[in-house]
Amino acid sequence: MIESERQARVRKSTSLHLAMEAAETLRQITEFPDNPESMAYFYDLYQSRFKDGMILPQNGKKLVGTMCLQVPDELIVAAGAVPVRLCSGAYAFDQAGGDFMPAKSCPLVRATMGMLQVNNDTMKDNLSTIVIPTTCDQKRSSVEMLRNMDYPVTVLEMPASKESDEARTYWQESVKQFALSIQKTCGRKITAKALNAAVRTKLEAGKLFRSLQQLRTESHPVILGKDIWLVSNSYFFDDPDQWCKAVGKLIAELDSRKSAGFSAINRKAPRLLFTGSPPIFPNLKLPILVEQAGGLVVADETCSSERLLHDAVVFDEKNLNDMVPAIADRYLKPCTCPCLTPNTDRAKKILEMVRSNRVEGVVYQAFSGCLPYEMEQRGISDMLSREGVPMLFVETDYSPEDQGQLSTRVEAFIESIKVRKRKKQ
Amino acid sequence: MSSIRKFLNNSDINRFRFYFQLVAFGLLVYGGYLSINIGDQLPTFACVFDDKRGGSCYLMGFQHQMTFPYARLFSGAGIGILIGLLTFVGFFIIFNKAWCGFACPLGAIQDWLTMLRCKMGIYYSSYSEPVFKRLSTIKYILLALLILIPMGIGNSFFGLPTLNHDFGVPFCMICPGRTLLPLFNGDFSQLAIDFSSKTKMVFSGLGLGITGMFLAGAFAKKRFFCLFCPMSALHYIFSRASLLRLTKDGEKCTRCGNCYRVCDVGIRAIADDLEHINIVKDDCMMCLKCVSACPEDGCLKASFLGMPVYESTAEGFFRRRLKEDD
Repeated sequence: MIESERQARVRKSTSLHLAMEAAETLRQITEFPDNPESMAYFYDLYQSRFKDGMILPQNGKKLVGTMCLQVPDELIVAAGAVPVRLCSGAYAFDQAGGDFMPAKSCPLVRATMGMLQVNNDTMKDNLSTIVIPTTCDQKRSSVEMLRNMDYPVTVLEMPASKESDEARTYWQESVKQFALSIQKTCGRKITAKALNAAVRTKLEAGKLFRSLQQLRTESHPVILGKDIWLVSNSYFFDDPDQWCKAVGKLIAELDSRKSAGFSAINRKAPRLLFTGSPPIFPNLKLPILVEQAGGLVVADETCSSERLLHDAVVFDEKNLNDMVPAIADRYLKPCTCPCLTPNTDRAKKILEMVRSNRVEGVVYQAFSGCLPYEMEQRGISDMLSREGVPMLFVETDYSPEDQGQLSTRVEAFIESIKVRKRKKQ
Repeated sequence: MSSIRKFLNNSDINRFRFYFQLVAFGLLVYGGYLSINIGDQLPTFACVFDDKRGGSCYLMGFQHQMTFPYARLFSGAGIGILIGLLTFVGFFIIFNKAWCGFACPLGAIQDWLTMLRCKMGIYYSSYSEPVFKRLSTIKYILLALLILIPMGIGNSFFGLPTLNHDFGVPFCMICPGRTLLPLFNGDFSQLAIDFSSKTKMVFSGLGLGITGMFLAGAFAKKRFFCLFCPMSALHYIFSRASLLRLTKDGEKCTRCGNCYRVCDVGIRAIADDLEHINIVKDDCMMCLKCVSACPEDGCLKASFLGMPVYESTAEGFFRRRLKEDD
C-alpha cells in the first residue's frame, strides 16, 4: 500500500518535471528567429506527447517498444503492430532511474529504465513486448532488469562485428527468428505484401529525410539543426504516414525559402558536424547551445537522427526468403555504432561528411557512462586534426547543471573557428 | 546534357537489360534467318552448332586452332590465329563483361529460369561466400583445359602419345550452349549421346549431364553456370583494357551492402572493397544491378570512354525503388 502510494507520488512528480523540461526545451527551440511555419506540426507533437507524463501512441493497434535503432521496425509494422522507440532523453526519467541504476551508467539507458520503472503499471499493459538488441553492455544488461519488472522482453541477438560473412549470416538468422517471434507476439502473420508496404513506407521516409538533409547543408542555410533533431527524433513515435506528410510540407516550405534566397542564419556561421552519443528530446542541450552560440549544425552522425533514416532496404525478389535477410542487411552492414568492432566505417563516414558538407568543426558528444563513444573519441579527434578540422569533445549527461560551463566552451570553440576563417581569408 | 544524364541515371536498368537480352538472343540465335553474321570471334556463346545463328562464339574456332602442331602454330598460320584473337579482343573491349550480362544467350536463359522461379514463388538456395570463392576457380581450370587438350592432338606432351581428333573441341562438347541453343531452332540432334567412339561417348554424355546441371543449377541459384564459365575467365584477362568500365568511389561508399545484396554472382568486393577504383571482378557480368541498387550519389559508375553512362544517384535509387509496384 505504502509502496504503491510512493510509486504514484513519484510518477506524478516525474511527469511534472518532464512536462517542465519539455516545455523548456521547446521554448529554447522556438525562441530562435525565423522558425519555419511547418515546424509547428512538430512543436505541437512534442507538446502533446510530453504534456502529462509519457504518452504512448494510441490507435487501437498493439505497441512494440524498441530500445535501439538496430531493431528492424519494418517487421513490427508488417506484423500489424506499431513500433515505438523507447530511448529516452528526459532528465526527469534519468533521475528516476538513478534510484536503482548504477551512478556511472549511461544517462540514456538510465532514463529509459527510469521511465519504464516509473510507468511500470501502465506501460506493462500497453507494450506487447520490448525489443532489445544485444548492442552495448548496458542495453544488454537491462534485459534481466526489465524482466524482473515483469515486462515482456524480446532479445535480438546481434553480432559484435559486421565484417565476416559468418556475422552477417548469424544476424540474418537472428532477424529471421525475431520475425517469427514478433508475429507470434502480435498475432498476425507477416506476409510479403505487408512487409513490402512497410519497407516502402520507410523508404519514403528515408527519401524525405535525405532531401531535408540536402536542404540543411545549403550554403544559404534554410533550416537550423535544432529543428532537424525534432523532425528525426519524432520518427521514434510518430505515425510514419503523418510524419511523411509533415516532412513533405516542411521540405516544400524550405524549397521556397531557398528559391527566395532566404537565410535562416548568418551565412558565415561556422558549419558544424555533430556526432557521438545521441541527442534525444528533451535533452537537446548541446545541439541547442551550439546554435545559440552562432554555429550551425549542417550534418550529424548519430543514432537518433542520421543513422535512423539514411539507409535503405534493397531486395531482389519479392518473397520473404529474400526480403527478411535484405532487411537484416540494412540494419547491420551500414551500421556505425561503436559497439561494433572494428568500427572504421564510422571514422570514414565522418570524414566523408566533413568533406562533402564543407564542415568547419566537429562537436563530439559523449554521455558520461557511454564508454564506446568515449573510447572512440581519440581516434576520431586525431583523424580530424590530420584533416585540419577542429573538434570539440564534450562529456556530459542529462542534467542542466553544466549548461553554464558548456556554453562557455562552446562559445570559445565557435569563436576560434570564426577566427581561423578570418585568418584564412 | 545534364538532363540526358539525369534521365539515364533515373532509368531502370533491369527492365532495359531484359529487353536488350531479348533482342540479343534473337540476333545471336535467329540472326541467320536474316543473313546476319556479326562475326566469328564473338566473346559470347553464339553457338556454332546452331545453324541459324547470327554470329559465332570464339571458343570453337580457338579450340580448333589450338590443335595445330607447334610448327604450324608458330608459322605464318600463327598470324591468322593472332588476328582471330585480336578480333575477339576487339569485340570484347567495347562492352567489357557486359557481353555476359546483356548479350550472352546462355546468360539470358539463366535469367529467364530465375524469373520463372520467382513467378512460381520458389525460394533460391544460397551458399556461403568461401564456397563461392572456391568454386569460381573452376573456370580457370576449364580455360586451361580447353587450350591444353586440343594442343595434345597436334603435339605430344612429354613424349606421350597424341590425342585423337575426337578431343578436338572439348569445351564445346560439354558446353550447355551446344545442347540447348539449337533447340530454339527445332534442332534436337545435340540432345543425344554420340556412340561413334569412346571419346565422343564420354564427352557427349558429360555434355548432357552438364546441361541438366545447368538447368537445375540456374533454377536454384542465379547465374549458376557463370561461375564456371571459361569464356568469363578469358574475358577477365582483357577486362582492364576495356572501353566500358565499372568504377567505384570508395570514399562515397557506406558499405551498406545493397550492391552485394542484389549481385547475382555474389561479388562481395563490390560492397567491401574501398580501395580499388576498377571494381570489375572475374565473376562480374556487368549487369549494373549494383549501380541501380546504390543509394549514394556517384559511388558506383559505369562509363564508356570516360563518359559516365549510368551512375548511382539517390534520386534514381528512390525513384526505382518506390516505383516498382505502381
